[in-house]
Amino acid sequence: MTEEMKINNSILRVSKDDITMLEVDCFVYYAQSNLKLGSGFGGAITLRGGQSIQKELDSMDPINVTQAVITEAGNLKAKRIIHANGPKFQEEDLERKLSDTILNVLKLADKEGLETIAFPPMGTGFYGIPLDVSASVTLKTIKDYLNGQTGIKEVTLSVIDRREFEPYHNRLLALS
Amino acid sequence: MPAIKERSHKAQKVLERFEKKLNRQIVGSLVACVHCGMCTQSCHYVLANPGDPTYAPAYKGDQIRKIFKRHFDWTGRVLPFWVKAKSVYTDEQLEELKDVVFGKCTNCRRCTINCPMGVDLATFNRMARGLLVSVGVMPEGVAVVSKDQWELGNQMGVLKEDYIDTLEWMEEEMQMELDDPQAKIPIDKKDCDVYYSINPREVKYDPRTIADAAKIFYAAKENWTMASEGWDMTNFGLFSGDDDLGGSVAVRLYEKVEELNARKLVISECGHGYRSTRCEGQNWGKKDVNFTMESSVITMLDYVKSGRIQIDAGKNDKIYTYHDSCNFARSCGMYEEPRELLKLVVNDFREMYPNRSENYCCTGGGGAMSMSEYSQRRLKSAKVKADQLKATGANVVVTSCHNCVDGLNDLIKHYKLGMEVTQLVNLVAEALVLEPRVAPEEIPAAPEAVPGADGLKGKKILVTDDEPDFLTFISTVLEDNEAEVIKASSGDEALKLAESEQPDLITLDLSMPGRSGIEVFETLRKNSKTQNIPVCIITGRPEMRKLIYDRPVPPPEGYVDKPADEDDIVLNIRKVLKAGHEKS
Repeated sequence: MTEEMKINNSILRVSKDDITMLEVDCFVYYAQSNLKLGSGFGGAITLRGGQSIQKELDSMDPINVTQAVITEAGNLKAKRIIHANGPKFQEEDLERKLSDTILNVLKLADKEGLETIAFPPMGTGFYGIPLDVSASVTLKTIKDYLNGQTGIKEVTLSVIDRREFEPYHNRLLALS
Repeated sequence: MPAIKERSHKAQKVLERFEKKLNRQIVGSLVACVHCGMCTQSCHYVLANPGDPTYAPAYKGDQIRKIFKRHFDWTGRVLPFWVKAKSVYTDEQLEELKDVVFGKCTNCRRCTINCPMGVDLATFNRMARGLLVSVGVMPEGVAVVSKDQWELGNQMGVLKEDYIDTLEWMEEEMQMELDDPQAKIPIDKKDCDVYYSINPREVKYDPRTIADAAKIFYAAKENWTMASEGWDMTNFGLFSGDDDLGGSVAVRLYEKVEELNARKLVISECGHGYRSTRCEGQNWGKKDVNFTMESSVITMLDYVKSGRIQIDAGKNDKIYTYHDSCNFARSCGMYEEPRELLKLVVNDFREMYPNRSENYCCTGGGGAMSMSEYSQRRLKSAKVKADQLKATGANVVVTSCHNCVDGLNDLIKHYKLGMEVTQLVNLVAEALVLEPRVAPEEIPAAPEAVPGADGLKGKKILVTDDEPDFLTFISTVLEDNEAEVIKASSGDEALKLAESEQPDLITLDLSMPGRSGIEVFETLRKNSKTQNIPVCIITGRPEMRKLIYDRPVPPPEGYVDKPADEDDIVLNIRKVLKAGHEKS
């Protein structure tokens, strides 16, 4: 399950993968403000990447909604992890916050000179943002960013099943 | 004129979603209660707290009902004071509602069976849980488990490589036991008659149930498979009230069955897993399926009755009783089949009273085992269950539910009943009479040597437990398997011996006086001299699992529930040592 398109000089792709297993310059973890990795992908990051990632996060201050920080990726195949505190659970002004979060991730990746980046379906699932809202906001924000000046060459939307794949895939096709 | 109260954002969102969740079944239950009190004595929480009316099902229902009346029923809109209608305004009120819907009800539905008006409290209690979850108000354990299942595809956060490794390990064990290299646990095999789905608890804490099922399929010469993905048949959406999670989990499983073109989905013994997958998943996921779904109880019963497997009930020579799981029995009607199978594989069965639809919950249902903040309340409410178990005179309680296994083990330890808990799959596997194998003409190459496969010879193991009987038991088991055993009866002693003796493995009890097992574990991990020694937790406190896995140090390599039998202990320790060997 993969679909991709070219935007300016970059590739935007939707793919079914385990994001914590990807060999990319960085992937995004949908973080909490206290930067505790917790369960889900956070648990996989800890188990596969080692304790050093949480230790690095522990040395940082809590972050506000829309902010993002970057760490090393321990034993994972990715080089770095961007921890982005996106909106959660029907929070107010959700779409703007989600867009700002994604924008902050992309800016941080550019600042760090990272060329390949993977996003999970931002805020969906446990945090309850509807898939179609997340797909629409995420892909529009990324497309607009890639149309500007950027060193990012590849952006992958990494989903885990068909249910997640379809809205992102449909939205990607609608962008072209 | 009184000031208009301002409503919090979360409270507003709860009300907006409440309206969308209303259907005939829920509205019927919300309006039908006449407060007759028939439900009161049916609830295990009430029986344990007779002086506290807040545990009464009708009262608990009223905490949701008053909001419904205030906003969605004309009586409450017109005459709120008359019908006790009341809205919700603050986040604190949502927290209070959380304490009721998560902490005072296991959604067991015993009150439903006893309600003359047909009020199904569990259904709208579950709905209320879902409303709170949608605004992020939930016990921490519910959040942890839900996030695992959303993002990793199973509710215990088992990684794919660990799952596959466990299946391969169980396959090796089975091949050794049966002396047949052709005994397999197939993965992702297409066009099979049976697709076997399991509970992640089996991978993480009880892999013997997987091996036992595999042995039964082997004996039945079944054309079967397990799957590399979409293997978890549990569904925390049933407990959290999140229909989106429920649908997502169920559809992942259904789609994998379709991808492999299996004819029948067999669901291992799990009450809520069976209900979610077989009865609710298609509605939540809005998906029809074209294959059969059945409980492994039915599969095993068919094998025995048709003569496809041979059984010697004399091999199970204890006294057994049966506990009906709320979801498997009361919600899905599986009363007689497990009893029929049980009577075929044991000789001494004693019925528990009351039973079937009137049986009491194990008190760990509805996700209660994941909510450690309510443990004391749960164990207090388990008194009636303990009395039921004790009255049977049995020394083994059998149940077709993994959740009940944990709930029962916990209350058995708490009330010092000294009983074992097991499942039908274990008893059927134990009673199997296998045909003598005809040796193939060509002898296959010997498998690669596995350390510990022939015992634990040469391994130095530090056993830590404050209970002298259990310390002696584990030590004896390990010594019988040729291990060199060092004993520690306290956390401090364990820390000293770990550093000085440098054992190959440490077994650790969690609840010890003084320095607790959790503290000892963290200290071991932080000490450079002991941090690489594998640790196998052996505990009778399943609710402490989350605490140990939440420590800011690498998790333990093994985990065994008490009461543990000899096989469980040896199997798990061999697994840990084998994993350590492969890593090195």
